[in-house]
Amino acid sequence: MKIMNNRFAKILPLSVAMVLAFSCERELDDLQPAEYPSNPNVFIDGFSGGLEYAAFGGSVPTAFDVDNEVTYLNTSETSMRFEVPDAGDPRGAYAGGAFFTTVGRDLTEYDALTFWAKASKAANIDVVGFGNDLGEARHQASVSGLAITTNWQKYIIPLPDPSRLTAEKGLFYYSEGPEDGRGYTFWVDELKFEKLGTLAHPKHSMLNGEDQVETSFVGVSKRIEGLSSTFNLPTGVNRTVGVTPAYFEFASSDESIAVVDGSGVVTVVGGPGTAEITATVGGVAAEGSLTIESVGDFVNAPTPVIPQDNVISLFSEAYMNEPVDYYNGFWEPFQTTLSADFEVNGDRVLNYTDFNFVGIQFTSPTIDATAMTHLHIDIYLPNPLAGTARMQLEVVDFGSGGTGVFATDIPASQAQQWISLDVPLSNFAGLGSRAELAQVIFVDVNGNIPGFYADNIFFYDDSTPPTMPATAAPTPTHPSDDVLSIFSEAYPSLEGTDFFPNWGQATVVSEVAIDGNNTLKYTGLNYQGIQLAEAQDVSDMAFLHIDYWTDNSAQLNVFLISPGPVETPVSLTVPTSGWGSVDIPLSDFSPVALDNLIQLKFDGNGDIFLDNIYFRK
Amino acid sequence: MLSIERHILSVALLLLGSMVFFPGCEVDEFQKLDERNWQLTWSDEFDGAAGESPDPEKWVYDLGRGDNGWGNEELQVYTDAPENISMDGEGNLVITALQSGNSYTSARIKTLGRFAQQYGRFEARLKTPYGPGLWPAFWMMGANIETVSWPQCGEIDIMELRGQEPHIIHGSIHGPGYFGGNPITKGYSLDRARFDNEFHLFAVEWDEDKIDFFVDDFLYQRILRDDVPGEWVFNQPFFMLLNVAVGGNYVGFPTADTPFPQRMTVDYVRVYQNAN
Repeated sequence: MKIMNNRFAKILPLSVAMVLAFSCERELDDLQPAEYPSNPNVFIDGFSGGLEYAAFGGSVPTAFDVDNEVTYLNTSETSMRFEVPDAGDPRGAYAGGAFFTTVGRDLTEYDALTFWAKASKAANIDVVGFGNDLGEARHQASVSGLAITTNWQKYIIPLPDPSRLTAEKGLFYYSEGPEDGRGYTFWVDELKFEKLGTLAHPKHSMLNGEDQVETSFVGVSKRIEGLSSTFNLPTGVNRTVGVTPAYFEFASSDESIAVVDGSGVVTVVGGPGTAEITATVGGVAAEGSLTIESVGDFVNAPTPVIPQDNVISLFSEAYMNEPVDYYNGFWEPFQTTLSADFEVNGDRVLNYTDFNFVGIQFTSPTIDATAMTHLHIDIYLPNPLAGTARMQLEVVDFGSGGTGVFATDIPASQAQQWISLDVPLSNFAGLGSRAELAQVIFVDVNGNIPGFYADNIFFYDDSTPPTMPATAAPTPTHPSDDVLSIFSEAYPSLEGTDFFPNWGQATVVSEVAIDGNNTLKYTGLNYQGIQLAEAQDVSDMAFLHIDYWTDNSAQLNVFLISPGPVETPVSLTVPTSGWGSVDIPLSDFSPVALDNLIQLKFDGNGDIFLDNIYFRK
Repeated sequence: MLSIERHILSVALLLLGSMVFFPGCEVDEFQKLDERNWQLTWSDEFDGAAGESPDPEKWVYDLGRGDNGWGNEELQVYTDAPENISMDGEGNLVITALQSGNSYTSARIKTLGRFAQQYGRFEARLKTPYGPGLWPAFWMMGANIETVSWPQCGEIDIMELRGQEPHIIHGSIHGPGYFGGNPITKGYSLDRARFDNEFHLFAVEWDEDKIDFFVDDFLYQRILRDDVPGEWVFNQPFFMLLNVAVGGNYVGFPTADTPFPQRMTVDYVRVYQNAN
């Protein structure tokens, strides 16, 4: 960005003279708290006092000049001339810049920025507005696509809320590229702030006036977009100006659920519960609202445990990610899917809304997945499912490999929890070579998935067999009469125990046979409950016995739970070297009510094998 | 037309100026009015419940498209549906022009057959609609229209507005020899304000010799019997009309930028007779 104020040096003495003139008239008694000049003129017959110009970066630096020939009604001495370059102009791709002052102006008594303009051909100027002071630009307001003709016409840009403009430095800015590849010239004259009094029916909007509802979680932040103000012009037609958040006063209906700051960033702070975010501008309620339906704490996708060396990752905080062109190609005309990605507790999550299909592309470079065996994706359907959904995954090779297709059913019961998909690449029907993979595509086959979150998208090599104990857990030797068994083949166990209660966990629970011995397996543990069929009194027992095995867990706790819930964790040493066997004194679980035990729980990470879970004397 | 408006504006400004400089004096001949003793003879305060239709004892609907868009190539179809015309429950009658694709509905009501009066003061307090192609009006026609037809019956337009000029209203009369595109008319313009975002009072005071036009009780036009180039037909009872037209000769077509729906909000219509 090049400051171009040198050519207007001749203006400076004038402004100095004005200041001196004012200061002569001022009496000491008149001294007031600092006030800014309310000079309405920006460019009438030349630069107004203190005005400077700077071209935007990447634009043609000489696009703006003062024109002595073409002026409005030929009555003013000069006009502002803007030369929009042809496409491919080596000097810059567009014309754009800001007119600003170093001392702010008090514009509170005006209601519009007005100017006369004409162009060498009919065109639509990309952006025209004010409030760009090359700094914070807090009070920016602009019209997009302003239609301009070959005749001088007056244009009006309403001030969204003049009371905010007590010290405005950004008096005019513009940005315009070639039209259909061709450049042209437009002129602006008589550029000034005015009190028209004939702007009517102000209407302000957030989120483009829509009432949006979003399921969200504690820690999620999102900026409110789509801010605009619409006024009816003296010609009876409406004009909409895009505006910055500083014109808006945002409010939350429940600050224990969600808060909103002055820049329109909404942060979910509590839940479950609902908060509605609304706004006013100058005391007038804005149209549009954002209703946050917080479900409370976010459950992160299970942290992947496969070593980086075996992974080519597209999207995961756990790995180095390959370059990705985009996570949503917005493929027209048939794609409806939008993106509302969010970050929670430092973990970025892809969030696809209005889902029908969506693609992730990675072509710089493409990915050679020849050595990989699986595609891993964690998905989460935030809305309840009315029936079984079917998610189709496609992997596209831009070389000779073509497109591979795989689809899987998602039962309604798996909505609102993380689902880890580990799809062998050999299961992608139609995929040949995978040396130049370039896209992963998601398709809603049954049309009943409104949206989903995605995390941990990576290819991995699983050619080494999954790690598991080589032998069964050691057979327990405590007398059966001294034992109350939860899970063991050595003792009769309690009946009706639910080893996979839906507590919203990500853990996948299965039972595997090792040497013919049934063993409980937690894959991708985050937490996992065990629900007893009825409350148990173990107050006459002394220990909780557990046999466990893991080679990849970094943390493992076991809890006993009595109503309340009252629960106490006891840490287990991980990873194990072979089977680990522990006998935990029940007193370690204080203050859990041992005579009214209803649940057990594990939390931590990794893959855990469990056996012989029982209480003993 | 433009030159006429400018002339009137300058007259109005002159008047304003003189008022400012000589606030305590009789302003000037134009503003000097005889003493009146107005006695209310008819009114509608529109105090009905929200959604209620106009009082059928006072008003009659004009429905449909008329001949050739009510003689003006107007685009709207007039209905008696509450979405086009009903009380707002806050003491106003609201006439709403609605857009559906390229077609428009609106409403027009009149007191023909219910009430007509010769001479007196006729006034309405209202907020106009706005936008290119909107044409609201508060006006009168001679009650003998069904026997002598228009323009012989006479027409007094107390308030007309072009939606693309929401700060200017026009007062006009039509009669034999001065009608259609050639009425006797004057515009009245607000300075830094508009007729669509707050209520204004529009009135005529009419006697055997003249018709005076007022906005907010400011006299901006006097038409004398001798001013008309043809026959003076304003010597018999007239009835009143309220309507919002869309498109037509007077105003032009609505554009893609015309905001819809559009509403004319009428606080009251009152008629007085001079008791002196």
